[in-house]
Formats: sequence, structure tokens, C-alpha cells
Amino acid sequence: MKNSSQKTIRKAAAGDRLAFRELVLDNSHAMFRLAWRMTCDEAAAEDIVQEAFIKAWRSIGDFRMEASFRSWLHRITVNTAMDYLRKQSRRKQLEVEEPQWERVSQASEPARADVQIDIRTQTQAALLKLSEMERAALMLRHFEGHSIDEIASTLNLSANACKQTVFRAVKKMRIELQPLVAT
Amino acid sequence: MKKITDDDLTLLYYGEHDDPSLAARVAGSDELSARFEALGEELARMEVLTPPERGDDYGAEVWRRIAPRLAEERTSSGWGWLTRLRAPRFSLAGAFSITLVFAVAFFLGREGALTGPAPVGTDSAQAAVLNDLDPAQLLATSVSRHLEQLNVTFTQFANSPDLSNGMADRAMDMLLANRLYRQAAESRGDRKLATFLGDLEPLLIELAHEAYKNSPATQNRMQQELKDSLLFRIRVMNKQLTDSQIST
Repeated sequence: MKNSSQKTIRKAAAGDRLAFRELVLDNSHAMFRLAWRMTCDEAAAEDIVQEAFIKAWRSIGDFRMEASFRSWLHRITVNTAMDYLRKQSRRKQLEVEEPQWERVSQASEPARADVQIDIRTQTQAALLKLSEMERAALMLRHFEGHSIDEIASTLNLSANACKQTVFRAVKKMRIELQPLVAT
Repeated sequence: MKKITDDDLTLLYYGEHDDPSLAARVAGSDELSARFEALGEELARMEVLTPPERGDDYGAEVWRRIAPRLAEERTSSGWGWLTRLRAPRFSLAGAFSITLVFAVAFFLGREGALTGPAPVGTDSAQAAVLNDLDPAQLLATSVSRHLEQLNVTFTQFANSPDLSNGMADRAMDMLLANRLYRQAAESRGDRKLATFLGDLEPLLIELAHEAYKNSPATQNRMQQELKDSLLFRIRVMNKQLTDSQIST
């Protein structure tokens, strides 16, 4: 995510569509990556990015200039993704994806590329087993490098509750990922 | 000495632990180092979660998709035309026709999504008349009349340099009617008509909120859009709707 200039943000907050366009151009890729990691679904991530920008446009007039614009956009993206996830019944998809675990262990000599694909699938499946809150906290910490305090603010949690959410997410992921480390 | 838990190691891994001596303690202990290394290896597995690549023009693509919607969304309270959006204006002349549009849309949509009590302002005579009509024909007739009004207003806008003649109020009435007809078309499964009416909305929104005011560039773009395609499409659709009424 590029550092959008304060001037551009101010102009967008005042209703300048061209300035907002600049913010969209600067931040779309990063928002897509975050949305994808939250959903593991390309089409959903694209929809979430668009929806998040619409929400950002609605509320950019209320953005406090002293705050981090990046964190603010992440918050909108994560909340939009969480809304999406709540509406989806992901468990059914997991049930479909899980048999692929067996495919890896049963294969006698799987090709290396297949192993990589399965590791990716299994890691995605592990991630999707986390609650939305755990997933969001872990993604923001692990991939986006947000501090616990920032994540707490993004997810509307206390710092301690946020820490516990990250701990739970890490524990669950470790249990799922442990068998893959030897692969 | 306090026992070091996996949670402590997690905080250390992410550089969040508030005890500066922890790193040294972990480095000085084989057992702690092994645990820390295992944690790192397991979490490093998440790196395979690389999102699919987006092209360089992805941002522009996002903008292209959301730009039409931004026109009808609000942002800060300082935007005059958006403030008016919260309190829509309806011309007195349009009040009766809007009631009728509500009634028509209600009767058209009651087999689909637009269910609920009959709209306020629909008298029993109106209801009886509407009940006797074929829904498809009623939709075609109503939309055809709506398109005729749009054609007149849009033609006037496309050709007139003087726009201070109640254009915005009329456009607001027509925008509301357009949405109701679109919903009615959707609920009746007429996707072609619903899509067509949806295509008219961005311009109606701009017109209703006087987006052209103080912006010659916006006015030129809107007028050009009408002359280039929309007016033609409106006339073609109206002809098709009229023909369909004749054939039934």
C-alpha cells in the first residue's frame, strides 16, 4: 500500500472525486491482498475491495487526519470481509476441501508441484477454520505488520482481548501446520 | 523465574514482547531456542498464502467499477447536493404520478419481491383497475410512458444551455419512478428491461442532484452521453415496448 499524501486524502475528504480516484489507484492492490487472505476467494476479494472503497467514500469526510490512513482502509476492508464471511457458509466448502489432506498422505510419490499446491490448499483450509476475528487479527499481525494496539483498534477489541485472539489463532494454526513442516 | 510460555514466544516472534531480556533468555537456552524455532517454522508455512496477482491496471479497473456508484453515495456533510439527497425533493406536479408509479410497481411486483401492504395513496378504484390488467402489459405500458417523459427531459437537457427550469425536481421524480420500475422488472424476471433502466440511473442521479451545476465539463459529458447513446437507446426501447403492446 503506497503512502497516500495527506493533501490527496484531504482533497478526497472534501469531496474531490479525482483525489479519491488516486487513493483507489494507490491502495487497490494491498486491499485485494488483505481481502483475499481473509476469504481465500478471488471473486469475493474483488467484491470486498469495491465495497470497501464505496464505504470509504461514504465516510472519508469523518476520517481524522492525524490517524493512519492505511490502518483506516484496512479496518474498512477487514470489516467488509467479516460481513461477507458471516454471510457465507464456509463450513461446507471446508468439508469439500478437507479430503485433499488424505490425497497427500495417500499418494505414493507425489510430484513436487502437487505437494506445493496441496500445502497451499491445506494452509488455506487451516486458515478458514479460524473464526473471522482470529483470522483478521492474525492476518493483520502476520502479513500486514500491524501492532497489537492497531489491530485492537481495527477490530474494536481491548488490547488484551486482541492479544488473546492472536494467541488463539497462532495455536490453532500451529496445530494444523505442524504436519506440513516436515513435508 | 517466570516460566516462558508459547504465548511469550509468539509475542517475541512478532516483536511485541515488553520484556527486553526475553530474547537473550531464549537465545541462551537450547530448549527455548528449539521451541522458538519450531514456532517460526510453523508460522512460516503461512507464507504459501500468496494472493493471486492483479495486473498493473487493477486500481484503474476498481475505479471504473465503483465510479458510477460514488455519484449516489454520501461522504462529508459539506456536500450540498448530497445533503439534498437525504431529503429528496418532489415536485408537487410529480406527487400524483409518483403515487401512481408506486401503485403500479406494487401490483407488478406482488408476485415477486415487492410484497407488502398496498401503498398509501392507492384508492380502491385504482386497485381494481390495476387488478384487471395483464402484469406484463401494465409494465410495458407504464415503462413506455416513463420513457416518453425521460425522452422529453433528456432531450431538453441535451440541447438547452438554460438548465434553471425545474430540471432537477423532475429528474428526482423520474429517478424514483425509474427505480420502482426497475425493481418491478427485476421481480418479474425481465432482466433486459431491468438492466436498461439501471443504465439510466447514473445520469438521472447526476441530473437530480445538479452535478452539472458550476461544472461545464460535467455538463458537457452528460449532454454528450445522451446524444451519443442514451437518447437513441431510450427511443429504441420505447419502440420495442410499444410494439409488444400492439402485438398482445
